[in-house]
Amino acid sequence: MAKSEMQNQVRRLRFEHGQITQQQLADKVGVTRQTIIAIESGKYAPSLPLAFRIARTFGVSIEQVFQYDEQET
Amino acid sequence: MNKTKEVSWFYFFLGLACFLIPGGVAVFIAYDRGISFAPVLMFTGIVIWGGLFWLFPFIEKKVRKDKKQISFDERDQLIHKKAVMAGYVVLWLYFVTACVIAWCIVGPHGSISVNVMPLTLLGGLVIFTFVQGLACLIQYGRGGKDGEK
Repeated sequence: MAKSEMQNQVRRLRFEHGQITQQQLADKVGVTRQTIIAIESGKYAPSLPLAFRIARTFGVSIEQVFQYDEQET
Repeated sequence: MNKTKEVSWFYFFLGLACFLIPGGVAVFIAYDRGISFAPVLMFTGIVIWGGLFWLFPFIEKKVRKDKKQISFDERDQLIHKKAVMAGYVVLWLYFVTACVIAWCIVGPHGSISVNVMPLTLLGGLVIFTFVQGLACLIQYGRGGKDGEK
């Protein structure tokens, strides 16, 4: 059975882009800070529009922010 | 604490109070004087009003679209939807259980008072509110304080 795992680089990108805070990122992409926390910790997989907004905020492609690993178990 | 989480706690307790207080009064009236039309109507109104609590965040989101501060986003919406779904699943199970228990107690040829029906409805709404609030809090609670790891 395939086990899927979503990984993201949001935390790293935040620090690489002028150390913007979770609140600042949340305001830019139109969500709450708790949602950014949940995304960073991998507890919440964002919708495609939100994923695009996050990627565009950092000026990178969506694949550079979110990675999808499929592992056979 | 997230504002929506605070609201969940508020709905959880206010919802329960809205059902339990008039519910208790209705039960008292029913046993003391027999059910009359006026308290049943009043009670139904409160229950319907209370039962629509879950819609408030969605309405607030529509109304407060222009506000800069975001308090209800896609994750909150998803949590709310899942919680409502959990509430309906448990509500359905409750009604099935209530029907089976009633059938087991009075038997296939027995009969029950129609007064049982509004009380069963009240129980269902209390359970729905409770489960919905609980499901919201469990989903927000995952990951500890403030949703952090």
